[in-house]
Amino acid sequence: MSRERVVVVGAGMAAVRFAQELADRPGAPEVVVLGDERHAPYNRILLSAVLEGTHDPGALAMPVPAGVDLRLDARVVEVHRAQREVELADRSRLGYDRLVLATGSIPTLPPIRGLVKVDGRLDDRVHAFRSLDDCRRLAAAVAATTGPVPASAVVVGGGLLGLQVARALAVRGLRTEVVEGGEHLLRSQVGPAAGAILARDLARLGTTSYTGARAVRLTDDGLRLDNGVTLETDLVVLTAGGRPSTALARRAGLEVRRGVVVDHRLRTSDPLVHAIGDCAETEDADGRRRTTGFVPPAWEQAGVLAALLAGEDATYDGSRVVARLRATGLDVAVLGEPERAEGEVVEVSNPVTGSHRRLVVRDGRIVAATLVGDLARVGLITQHFDRGTVLGLTEPSDLLMVDRPTRPARLPDDAEVCACAGVSAGRVRGCSSLAEVRDTTRATTGCGGCAETVRTLLATRPLQGVPS
Amino acid sequence: MTDTHCPYCSLQCGMTLQRRGPVLEVQARPAFPVNEGALCRKGWTAAGLRGHRERLTTPLVRDPATSELRAAGWDEALDLVAERVRALQDESGADAVAVFGGGGLTNEKAYLLGKLARVALGTSQVDYNGRWCMSSAATAGNRAFGIDRGLPFPLADVERADVVVLVGSNLAETMPPAARHLDRLRERGGRVIVVDPRRTPTAERADLHLQPVPGTDLPVALGLLHLLVAAGAVDDAYVAARTTGWEEVRGAVIGWWPERVERVSGVPVAELTELARLVGRAERVMVLTARGAEQHSQGTATVLAWIDVALALGMVGKDGAGYGCLTGQGNGQGGREHGQKADQLPGYRMIDDPAARAHVADVWGVDPDSLPGAGRSAYELLDALGTPGGPRALLVHGSNPAVSAPRATHVTQRLAALDLLVVADIVLSETAALADVVLPVTEWAEETGTMTNLEGRVVLRERAVAPPEGVRSDLEVYAGLAARLGCTAAFPTDPEAAFEELRRASAGGRADYAGITYDRIRAEDGVFWPCPAEDHPGTPRLFAESFATADGRARFVAVDHVGAAEQPDDDYPLHLTTGRVLGQYQSGAQTRRVRDLPDTGPFVELHPMLAARVGARDGEPVVVTTRRGELKAPARVVGTIRPDTVFVPFHWVGANRLTNDALDPSSRMPEFKVCAAQVRA
Repeated sequence: MSRERVVVVGAGMAAVRFAQELADRPGAPEVVVLGDERHAPYNRILLSAVLEGTHDPGALAMPVPAGVDLRLDARVVEVHRAQREVELADRSRLGYDRLVLATGSIPTLPPIRGLVKVDGRLDDRVHAFRSLDDCRRLAAAVAATTGPVPASAVVVGGGLLGLQVARALAVRGLRTEVVEGGEHLLRSQVGPAAGAILARDLARLGTTSYTGARAVRLTDDGLRLDNGVTLETDLVVLTAGGRPSTALARRAGLEVRRGVVVDHRLRTSDPLVHAIGDCAETEDADGRRRTTGFVPPAWEQAGVLAALLAGEDATYDGSRVVARLRATGLDVAVLGEPERAEGEVVEVSNPVTGSHRRLVVRDGRIVAATLVGDLARVGLITQHFDRGTVLGLTEPSDLLMVDRPTRPARLPDDAEVCACAGVSAGRVRGCSSLAEVRDTTRATTGCGGCAETVRTLLATRPLQGVPS
Repeated sequence: MTDTHCPYCSLQCGMTLQRRGPVLEVQARPAFPVNEGALCRKGWTAAGLRGHRERLTTPLVRDPATSELRAAGWDEALDLVAERVRALQDESGADAVAVFGGGGLTNEKAYLLGKLARVALGTSQVDYNGRWCMSSAATAGNRAFGIDRGLPFPLADVERADVVVLVGSNLAETMPPAARHLDRLRERGGRVIVVDPRRTPTAERADLHLQPVPGTDLPVALGLLHLLVAAGAVDDAYVAARTTGWEEVRGAVIGWWPERVERVSGVPVAELTELARLVGRAERVMVLTARGAEQHSQGTATVLAWIDVALALGMVGKDGAGYGCLTGQGNGQGGREHGQKADQLPGYRMIDDPAARAHVADVWGVDPDSLPGAGRSAYELLDALGTPGGPRALLVHGSNPAVSAPRATHVTQRLAALDLLVVADIVLSETAALADVVLPVTEWAEETGTMTNLEGRVVLRERAVAPPEGVRSDLEVYAGLAARLGCTAAFPTDPEAAFEELRRASAGGRADYAGITYDRIRAEDGVFWPCPAEDHPGTPRLFAESFATADGRARFVAVDHVGAAEQPDDDYPLHLTTGRVLGQYQSGAQTRRVRDLPDTGPFVELHPMLAARVGARDGEPVVVTTRRGELKAPARVVGTIRPDTVFVPFHWVGANRLTNDALDPSSRMPEFKVCAAQVRA
């Protein structure tokens, strides 16, 4: 009997992770990964870092285990569930025992007139930012704009990706502006106060943002907004969100709402077909259905599905999401859904320093948080959030305050200055020279770390034997 | 005046002992290069056990009538041991008797203890507490470089690095004189980076301190590699010429972008980025790991990840750069090279290698087939004591597992389940107090022997004073037992004669001591192994030309983060980590009895935020509980520890009642450094 064959549609973050997880297990089935891009799998979430120049483009390639049959430029056009086959663009067919849809999401094209030329292609100035090809094309366009006058760019969409791309372009020397249709930046994640502080931070870095304004038309003069302003620009980058890529599933007759509907075992309405990652619509433990655009939930789903297909017991009941902005000079972390989560809100906002921090606490646990402009405690707060730590009453506010270590001006006589030899400040003060300290107390003879303190103590020692 | 070395840690600081009547005085020995005359308070007070009222000077035997220990003569004690050993082995086979050694034993003792086990007792069941020290680094070193030597360069090379990364080392407290090298490095403009969940005195003098969640040094290394790849900071020419396996590592770290590392490790992206910036542009980077990185169920993988960092930067084998392990115990290095480790024979030979067995059997004058195979690792050995199929008798030399073993309550129960427990020590340690027979042995100033320090430098401790009457050396104990067991193989009681035999046994092995003599050690301030011949200068620096692998290349090993075996949950919401304080050493059997060292007892370090949460006050008792035990001790409320972590020093009974016995799959290192805990006031 031949091995069972698992066919994965898509070669993005979720698909590759799933293939790795499954291939790592003993007795793994045959795994075929069908990617529609011509590039080997890469880490998509680092594309903005490549654009910004902090990441070498060669540093994106995601390894696919040796046993996995990876096929590139292999676009699946149809799923024939009755025959358990997928059909590729070249009309060839491939049978499966299990099918995993990991088709990801597709960028939303905002309703802007003039984006698409009469021949159906995007205007040359217009860029999407989803794939490696998009990134390369945009990077090439940026490179081509070098001249005495800095080129300009408008980023449409003030979400996480939009801000990352805007910062990347600004770091590359472009005059960059952001247009966001909502009332404030990052509106899916944070509230108006945080959004306003973010806009100020962005302005401080030289990027103006237009919120509550929609781009309506691209003309030779630039990008016109619905408030009448026209932004002159060499480049327009569309980052205004995406939606689950569900066309294939829909055509195959699978249940699709916003995404491809799956149960807690990541099965679609056909138990032999699964969906993971951005294309899947999962159900949380509390029954709430959702789709995700983030990698960690996609990877958790990949792990659960690999376990299930290897015969282990596992369920997927939702993920804790931590969204981090990856952009030089902008510090943002969003844990959970701070604008929706129920609970008590502890908030510290300081527009003067450009920081806004908000914890949503329920039954002593941090259930959501916004951190803008000050990430000093992001690691700890994330740990508390992820682990559901029950905090003390004052702890949420303590977490939002900054430590200010103080040092006594004068060391008391009983303060230990030399741990190696166990010598107090008083004993050092009782000596008249470094040599005496060394010989009688052995201070400074161990690690040497106290030498400077000892010298200071000797230099500032009250004079002895002199009549006052 | 006797030039010798400190009895404690792996630095093996040089010191001079001077007799003044009954008093033995410690004096600086500035000519010895490792510490240049510096000592910490443990070293300065090392003679404090001389003439101590708790010093054992007569064997003790447990009286069956009273169940108390009573004084006995040496013949009575050794006869009893030999008789019981024979009876138990007749009944249950050779492996019914086990031997547990220590990383503080001299090379001569470690060598002959292994021989005692394999030849006189014929048991495979021999291991030692060094398994709990740097076995993870040893395993990783063998995998990556084909050889395991703590530092592959002299410690003073630290001063010539541009950036030193200390992962899980608090050397300013655990080996204070070593910190002088860091200070000189910084005076030169070099940078020191410390990775530690606590802001230790070592971290205080660092330029950058990363404070990860205990058990996440591994993802920090993966994240660092990710950023080095991203920045194009990998030394491609070095990787191509001197290593294999890079592509797999490169692929694996693409998935460890900084935000993911932040979430797992609690290290903010900005700090990881700064780490990458500092090491990525430095000419000479030195990565040094210690117990903080190694005492984990993923200890070997963690060390391998940091070795991968050093290799990717092209640092290993470069002057003033590279990777090293700061070994812990005085002879942690030599102790594992010469045959008290369950799977090894002298010279760092593997016990399952027929050629190794033939060589060592020839030196010992026995049939190679008579040598037993590999036995259980240290914790597995203790865990099996008194169980069906497990050892029924245990001989302990230079160790105090009732205090130092993980899950110590369980281990103490296993010790109690034995038919025979024999402990050789200088005082009645907590383990000795459980024994059926206690043998009083010499302490460091009363005997001669070699130690191999953290640099692989073989040094000589010389006898400065005569032992108290009634005390015998460990070598005399081995010889006495071997003779009573009818063993005809040689068990020299003169340390130099033992070393001569060790030289021959190690000749041709990975840790080759054949060319080292006592006179050379005296003349050369120690000799670095490998040293295959008397006209060979020794090897202070390894890897300049090639690695000790079959093809001469270093191995990159791709590893991934799994995490600590026990994660916090609602019942045990905190991380517990353990470590040392400056004024005490290991299980404290010696230092707790030295009057001039502060014997504070255990304490619980916790952050003010956590103290407020649980209602703890500085100086007042708190109770730490884990799934394995409980400890009540005063709180020390300090801002230097992570608020989700508590710290307990392990020199006193209690800390290891809490620790987890999850083992690293390859090194068999227990996870001392992290488990889930609860604290209440």
